[in-house]
Amino acid sequence: MSKLGVFDISVRYGKVPAVNDLTLHVTEGERVFVSGPNGAGKSSLLKAISGAVATSHGRIEMDGDLLTGCAPEAIARLGLSMVPEGREIFGALTVEENLRVGTGLRRDASAVEEDIADIYDSFPILGERRGAAAGALSGGQQQMLAIGRALMTNPKLIMVDEPSLGLAPKIVDQVYDTLCALQEERGLTLLIVEQSSLRAARVGGRMVLMRGGRIVGEGNAADMADRDALAAAYFGNSPTETEATT
Amino acid sequence: MTNLAQLFFDAASLGGLYAMAALGIALIFGVMNLVNFAHGEYIAFCVFALIVPSTDAVAMMFLGRAPALVLILVVLALGGLIAVASEYAVFRHLRRADPVAMMIASFALGFVIRNALLAAYGGRPKAISLWPGLNTPVNIAGASVPLLQLIVIVTTLLVVTGLALLLKKTRIGLEMRAAAENFTMARLLGVRANRVITGAFALSGALAAAVALIMATQTGVADVKMGGQIMLVAFIATVLGGLGSLPGAVAAGFMVGIVSVVLQAWLPLDARPFRDAFLYTLVIVCLLLRPQGLFVPASAKPRV
Repeated sequence: MSKLGVFDISVRYGKVPAVNDLTLHVTEGERVFVSGPNGAGKSSLLKAISGAVATSHGRIEMDGDLLTGCAPEAIARLGLSMVPEGREIFGALTVEENLRVGTGLRRDASAVEEDIADIYDSFPILGERRGAAAGALSGGQQQMLAIGRALMTNPKLIMVDEPSLGLAPKIVDQVYDTLCALQEERGLTLLIVEQSSLRAARVGGRMVLMRGGRIVGEGNAADMADRDALAAAYFGNSPTETEATT
Repeated sequence: MTNLAQLFFDAASLGGLYAMAALGIALIFGVMNLVNFAHGEYIAFCVFALIVPSTDAVAMMFLGRAPALVLILVVLALGGLIAVASEYAVFRHLRRADPVAMMIASFALGFVIRNALLAAYGGRPKAISLWPGLNTPVNIAGASVPLLQLIVIVTTLLVVTGLALLLKKTRIGLEMRAAAENFTMARLLGVRANRVITGAFALSGALAAAVALIMATQTGVADVKMGGQIMLVAFIATVLGGLGSLPGAVAAGFMVGIVSVVLQAWLPLDARPFRDAFLYTLVIVCLLLRPQGLFVPASAKPRV
């Protein structure tokens, strides 16, 4: 069953196009990586889905609900959560306050406390530093906090933008282990922007390759990683790309 | 000793007034990146709400005749109401606009309110007497202090602690702090933009009303210009404290009040008329040394 449907959307900043007529489907429980070079429009795609930027064309649906034109807070209420690029944690708020920001849309107040306890179980360091200002955490800890915070809205679909950005490889392993475990446990659907196709291949899932605001290749992440599709996306034309765009 | 105590009460009460006005501006700036220059006009509006619209020199009390508790609550509500109404009528439509466009719109709104007041009440400052009993002096530590000064100091402390508790302990407070730091991220987590912004405007308007009540009692005058003057000082205090930082606004408001009272007392007689020049020179020096504001905590900047 299709969880998320992106139909023919375009995003532009002024006159500069970032996403061009892009169509993408994500099925329930799936793990999809979006890869591609800088400026390919990966982040813009995620921002458009979450409602943070407006689309100039096309429509986006989740579980049959139309997301296009909805405010970000309304989209969050439909069960979509976002871990943005650069994590964007609230640095002046405490760790626990960061987790609680996303609980305002929930009706199950009693489950909130359990969920916070769960997150402290998954990330003990967050529990230890629950009263500390989140801005004082290390980069890896902030990434954990951003993931925990996204979970607190009780989402069905989580989008993660470049979780490996600025983190040591060992920490990135941890981040992905956690994401996969959470997906398993909660039946989440994951849409992840990951620039490293090798990383995506190792974690496993479907991979979508973007370039110039379009999808130029698609397949199993493990297969994609060693195909020339990647070289094509990063360095120029190749048979794969021509095939995909025509 | 007498002098020092006197100075302390003067400084604390003036500083408290500035701090409350600065808080009203910082609250809005925090959630909307808007420097609301109509804030001074909210204050004037609340003062004039106390009297019957007329162009007479001595005003008839209108709301001002109500029992104190009713009067205070109604004026606070009126302040909140005009602020929320102005958000609904003006700023809501400019959310996606440039901050400069919003700021200019706030000037325009200020003019509209001020001229509406001029049309209804005339341009002449009016004598009003709101709770004249509060200006009778009481003796504390050898200083003769008007009761009102004590009330101002206590009120400021109550308002600041009340606001701090609200921001720290309530759901809407948490949402306001999160929105102040990163509005888009807060919305992505389901925080309703309208609710937070309306809340901030209501609080800001109520703070303007509190300032209005104090100024009306203290000066005994209703003047259309009174809002603009305190708005200027309060704006300087918010910049000095670091725009958007609430503790910074309070601290800098107090600081500006204290420094201006101290300058008034200790400058040589010939230099006193130029007190404000000295005050603003100090402000410039502060901003040259710390352009980001005096009280911006290091932890507020997220690591990359």
